[in-house]
Amino acid sequence: MIIEVKDLKKTYEGKVPTYALKNINFEVKKGEFIALMGRSGSGKSTLLHQLGLLDIPTSGEVIMDGTNLMLFTEKQKSEFRLKKLGYVFQSYALLPELTALESVYLPLMLLGVAKKDYIKKASEMLRKVGLGDRLHHLPKEMSGGEQQRVAIARALVNNPLILFADEPTANLDSESSMVILKLFRELNKKIGQTIIMVTHEPDDKKYVDRVIWLKDGVIKD
Amino acid sequence: MNIKTSFFLALTSIKRGNKGTLIMTILIMTLAYVNLVFISSVFGGIVEAINTQSIDNQYGNIVIEPAVDERYIDNSEAMKLITTIPGVIGSAAHYLDNTIIKYDERHDGKDIKSGRWLLKSISPLDEKKVTKIHESIIEGSFLETADKNKILIGKEVAGGHGGNLDHLSLGVSIGDEIDVYFSNDIKRSYIVKGIFSTKSTAVDQMVFVTKKEMESVLNIHNSASEILVNIENTGNESEYIEEIRQLGFKNEDIKKWSDLMGFTSSASASFTMISIILGVIGTIVAGITIFIIIFVSVVNKRRQIGILKAIGMTESTIILYFVMQALFYGVIGIILGASLILFVIRPYFISNPLDFPVGWVSLKVTFNIIRISNLSLMAAALIGGFFPAYRGAKESILKSIWG
Repeated sequence: MIIEVKDLKKTYEGKVPTYALKNINFEVKKGEFIALMGRSGSGKSTLLHQLGLLDIPTSGEVIMDGTNLMLFTEKQKSEFRLKKLGYVFQSYALLPELTALESVYLPLMLLGVAKKDYIKKASEMLRKVGLGDRLHHLPKEMSGGEQQRVAIARALVNNPLILFADEPTANLDSESSMVILKLFRELNKKIGQTIIMVTHEPDDKKYVDRVIWLKDGVIKD
Repeated sequence: MNIKTSFFLALTSIKRGNKGTLIMTILIMTLAYVNLVFISSVFGGIVEAINTQSIDNQYGNIVIEPAVDERYIDNSEAMKLITTIPGVIGSAAHYLDNTIIKYDERHDGKDIKSGRWLLKSISPLDEKKVTKIHESIIEGSFLETADKNKILIGKEVAGGHGGNLDHLSLGVSIGDEIDVYFSNDIKRSYIVKGIFSTKSTAVDQMVFVTKKEMESVLNIHNSASEILVNIENTGNESEYIEEIRQLGFKNEDIKKWSDLMGFTSSASASFTMISIILGVIGTIVAGITIFIIIFVSVVNKRRQIGILKAIGMTESTIILYFVMQALFYGVIGIILGASLILFVIRPYFISNPLDFPVGWVSLKVTFNIIRISNLSLMAAALIGGFFPAYRGAKESILKSIWG
């Protein structure tokens, strides 16, 4: 198992506490492409944030590749995110001042890879996602679908253990969405990339191995 | 902390960010720097003008006064040896007397103008090596060694030259005859040979006759009420005082010019204090300006900060990214500001000094002022950049990205 989730809870404190996740338990095998689905407010994005170390659960355990992530300090979490995880957000999440190439080699630069190597690797990754001719373009010079593909290249450039995608096609037209989902499927099949994707589109089921349905913070059988 | 990545992001942000904002920020930093250096330099110039005025026209570098309970310095042998000390430019022995001076314009005993003024005797050749009163003649000419019945008077005594105390003056011109009543009750008449103006009201209230003339009045020889000494390097007075003392001035009171400045000394100290206060205020304003600029940048890039953290960038690398931007603004501000000061403003004020009551004031841009201003602006940039960056970097990833 690449991920084991045990009794995971997330509660937002307040005058009336909100129980976003209630005793979540599930496992993910290496190379699986999983969709987290459910209605708005079901807790699917919250679950992804806990798994991706973007938020701190109230209780429970997330064991990833044999390591209990709950015991990490902030610095260890940063290092783990950099070395082992990749993220694709709903709204591209690119830095407006960086070209496609620079956006993609940024994680490699953080890892201390030599300049020659990170430029080569980032260029290859952009070619893989079909943007070989857009290396030096800024986000404002690219379409939404192209920007999202840059974000995917950035998420994959450090060969992550798991790729997390939070509604990656929500802001795209149907054609661009199909391109992105096919790319995910291809990566999953060709290189065995483990992917956990949040989506609210029922049609996306056909691209994934398994769907985890959430309702009111619990997994539906 | 990944310095290389911070530098890369800071540089990219500056290169590809909004050019108008960049120019405005650099302009603000440049002006903040010019403000720091200019204020300190103007006050430095005023203090220097006060000091120069005192050295050049009133005290020289060192003043030797008689021992306690003595009226005159009688050590004539030692007096001759002062100028043999290496580095001493000249020495000038003076007799001093508080005199009453009267001017009867119509020679009819009516409407006589009079006043009490300090009279000093000088040896014109020695005097030219110590003070610059001979360069301040505005009417007539300086005294010569052989002059007997000639007198040199300050503009405050003469009147009619825009002095501060014109209402107390005699109203005399070159060639007029005035009567001087010495403290030993001797009265002598002198022809006004020259009128001087030094920009020091105290000096411009003095009158001068030759040493020979004064010795004939006082009936003493080879003595002095005070000796002024001019040295090559102002600031080294203490060393010279030691050497002068070793010539035989055992009991005489030997002082530096700065010990005698009295009110002007406190004025100098006040100007220095005002300069420091304005410098501190200028530095704080520069720091707050950078704080606001970086704060706005952090707020605008809140989402980017969240993304950077999400992909694994540490908080310290993010903080350094913004601090480097602030330091860049500081460095460019210093380079442009220093260029403006050194190549435009300073040359202008050297050519067009300001006319202050204490003298002609130019900018005194010293290495120390430049060094302190550089450090102040860099410290302001560092602190002003750090706090908003720290706050932005500490925010949680989800809050940064989604608000």
